[in-house]
Amino acid sequence: MTRRRALLAAAGFGLCLLVPLVVSQDYQLNVLFRVFLFAALGLAWNLVGGYAGQLSLGHAAFFGIGAYGLTLFHQKLGIPVGAALVLGVLAAVAAALPIGRVAFRLRGPYFALATIAFAEVLRLSAKNLHDLTGGDVGAQAPALFATNPSRWFYWSAVALTALAFAVTALTARSRFGYSLQAIREDEDTALACGIDAARTKLLALAISAALTALGGALYASLFLYIVPDQVLAIDISNEIAIVAMLGGAGTLIGPIVGAVLLETASELFKNVFHEAHLLIYGVLIVLVVLFLPEGIVGTVTGWWRRRTKAP
Amino acid sequence: MEARLWSALQAVLNGLLTGSLYALIGMGMALIFGVMRIVNFAHGAFLMLGMYATYVLFDRLGVNPYLGFVAAAALLFVVGVLSYQLLLRRIAERSDFMQILLTLGVSLILTDGVQLLFGADYHQVNIPLLDVNLHLGRHISLNAPWLLSFAITLALAVGMFLFVMKSRFGRALRAIAQNRYAASLMGIDVLRTQALAFGLGLAAVGVAGGLLLPVFYLYPGVGDQFTLKAFVIVVLGGMGSIEGAAIAGVVLGVVESLTSLYWGNEWALVVDFAIFLLVLSLRPSGLFGSQRV
Repeated sequence: MTRRRALLAAAGFGLCLLVPLVVSQDYQLNVLFRVFLFAALGLAWNLVGGYAGQLSLGHAAFFGIGAYGLTLFHQKLGIPVGAALVLGVLAAVAAALPIGRVAFRLRGPYFALATIAFAEVLRLSAKNLHDLTGGDVGAQAPALFATNPSRWFYWSAVALTALAFAVTALTARSRFGYSLQAIREDEDTALACGIDAARTKLLALAISAALTALGGALYASLFLYIVPDQVLAIDISNEIAIVAMLGGAGTLIGPIVGAVLLETASELFKNVFHEAHLLIYGVLIVLVVLFLPEGIVGTVTGWWRRRTKAP
Repeated sequence: MEARLWSALQAVLNGLLTGSLYALIGMGMALIFGVMRIVNFAHGAFLMLGMYATYVLFDRLGVNPYLGFVAAAALLFVVGVLSYQLLLRRIAERSDFMQILLTLGVSLILTDGVQLLFGADYHQVNIPLLDVNLHLGRHISLNAPWLLSFAITLALAVGMFLFVMKSRFGRALRAIAQNRYAASLMGIDVLRTQALAFGLGLAAVGVAGGLLLPVFYLYPGVGDQFTLKAFVIVVLGGMGSIEGAAIAGVVLGVVESLTSLYWGNEWALVVDFAIFLLVLSLRPSGLFGSQRV
């Protein structure tokens, strides 16, 4: 990433921070919060799913650990909110290590299935361990912001997206990032080149898990109330992966584009189809797979390159 | 002491009855994976479609589910062939990434499409057979609908196995599973065979859906749990092994039933996934049958 582009990105995020000056309704800010939240989650997923090419369909595990970490460390142990947030993130990183250890030994569909299984074990355990988590009744999450919550949550989501963006930009041009991409293209060759594939993938998953857990904690604190079927659901895992792949897995701004498109589309269609608004996800996914296999950003940049290269 | 033994035996028998349906669902997925290398994330959604088809026949025309399942199977066969021709065929050469994503998309469309058409309400069919129980001695009793579905499933599973092993079409299927390119050189029409295999795999799910309808609540998201179970079954049985999936389905039914008895119903699925992860990490080729399709 050149200096000029970095400045451009910083200016872009700076402008996004100013939005609450224009938009003041809580509803609209909450929709925008969701857009940025999923942009950040998509970027986090992209490190593993896009750059390393490991299709995780279990990121709800980290999202849920972030949400429950913040809630339970604060509620059960009386730890201050800020510290509980950090502990939740650390818990997600700690969970990423055994999950990665088992799942990364598997390739292709087996990996995706293993990540689903881990997330489901967590969801079902959270449902069943009533004494700890409150089970299906739910748990009350602490408020991160006392005054003007809609604005502050919006700003936090933008900041998280900027953080995930910066991490991705730095990764993409680093030795670590190139190792990830080498693993994606051909793991055996990467191994033969002396890349420690297991450690590289594990590091990517740990970073991804930390960012995802931050998103989960924000989400929990905005809604103030969490249940396992909401924060640990397969739907969350799917949505994260879909946002990134729709925009373009393995591209820097793909997940942001995907989040803007998917979240606004689903918000618009919520009013038309009510509960069945996931229908639009399904249709979008099928269309992208059939016609834009590189995602929106990947396809557009590919087309642009061919155009500019032509005489 | 004796009472505990009887209740364990009862749980094992119940597990066998449920497991036979799991086996059928798993065999469908194994057939599809074996011939196409596609992990069908829409498997449960297709099952749900079979349940709704049977339900509509019962609700509007009064057709007994134990006859209606035949229609559901036929419908799902057609849906399968069409989905293959319109969607799956076009991404046959793409990464598993894309194939997983496509079937995931199909699953969302089916589930939410059905919800749009029929609403999110729970439905249940009421037939007299549901209240019939067969008593074996003083301690064991078996529910008639489950016994009936067990008999039907057993017949169909054996039929499917023989069809794949003995018929000319089945031989073509197994040839494609071993090596698609070589099979096409031997004069096998790969596209046509794969389309039929996908249809057949979904027909198995249609049967299972029809047979599950009387003993299950029906709602648009009912299939999701079965997609996950089908994954567990095919991994346990060795991806793509039909007989492996049949055995694994029955084993899963018994394990779930025993888990419910001793730890409570809510832990059954957790145990499923624990076994699944254990098998994936220790023996990814599956527990039963190394032979593919």
